[in-house]
Amino acid sequence: MLRESSQQTGALDNLNLQGTVNPEADTGVPHGNLLTAFAEAAVQQTDALPGLGEQIVAELGVQELVDAAGVVANFQRMVRIADGCGIPLDEFTKDATDDCREELGLHEYASAANTA
Amino acid sequence: MTTTAAPFANPDATWNIPDRIRDAHVRSWERLAAPGEWWTGAERVSIAAEGRRASALLDGLPAPGPGPVELPEAAVFTIHKLIGDLPNVSREWYDETTQAEGMSDAHYIELMGVLTHIWSIDEFHRALAIKLEPLPDPLPGEPMRRRPEGLADHGSWPPTVLPRDLAESEADIYGGAKNTPNVRAAMSLHPDSVRWLNDMLDAYYRGGAEPGPDHEPFRVLSTAQRELVAARVSALNECFY
Repeated sequence: MLRESSQQTGALDNLNLQGTVNPEADTGVPHGNLLTAFAEAAVQQTDALPGLGEQIVAELGVQELVDAAGVVANFQRMVRIADGCGIPLDEFTKDATDDCREELGLHEYASAANTA
Repeated sequence: MTTTAAPFANPDATWNIPDRIRDAHVRSWERLAAPGEWWTGAERVSIAAEGRRASALLDGLPAPGPGPVELPEAAVFTIHKLIGDLPNVSREWYDETTQAEGMSDAHYIELMGVLTHIWSIDEFHRALAIKLEPLPDPLPGEPMRRRPEGLADHGSWPPTVLPRDLAESEADIYGGAKNTPNVRAAMSLHPDSVRWLNDMLDAYYRGGAEPGPDHEPFRVLSTAQRELVAARVSALNECFY
């Protein structure tokens, strides 16, 4: 669900997409690996979650932690709406993200069969 | 199950939750308790309660009690499937579910709207180690059972409404945009679920149709940081979209 408008504005120029599927990869974004570790702990409800939250507060700030929790919560909802309705890819998204979907192996997901 | 005097006061919270987010949570609880188009208020609260039971099961925690009324068996199964077995949701399963007793495509979409919004709010609280808000007492009233005008097959499993086909009573749901992403239109069979989605998107992620880099300064993470978190959550859920 990478946002088309962000790609157009160049706001994602330094983002290494491998960091979204591989926790070991450098994300190319300041504090990116900490944020993805927090996202993973929140989605999987692991014991690491409280410590990672405190680390975000220490390195970034309280409102950054709240912001990150909001994005996690938002996409926990959005993926269920998308996959629960079998929605097709938007044309502009398909055109813009075909190459990176291949690179990241997203076609291997079971939900790829539902998203024509 | 009782409503607290001050919903979402979060007295045990370590972190200060901005008013714009707390207000969206309060509105969500009001929406949850009210009768919908296809489910009563009591059934909607029961959908949320079953979502909490599904979540507890996944996390190996004791399950909280059920909601105020019993739901159709297919509805209960749908809730557990959407929370805990998302990668195995399929067109065949959707067709079977929406044809089961007590269900329809409209019941399914409204259930999804209730379930995913309340569960998302719970996920926000769990991420911040804040105690979950007690579910509200349901309001009386019967579902209106109206399907919006302009529904058609646009490639999603349920029928959806394109912006150009919206009736006047639903003209607000896409914010006046001429085009809308498929994920925003996905629940247009139940327009109030799209309104709810808009409200929570604004609270948690983005507002407006075309935000730029300087948009919404209260969102303190950079666009790249936010999109990174979003993409990681999508990947963990194996979401192709």
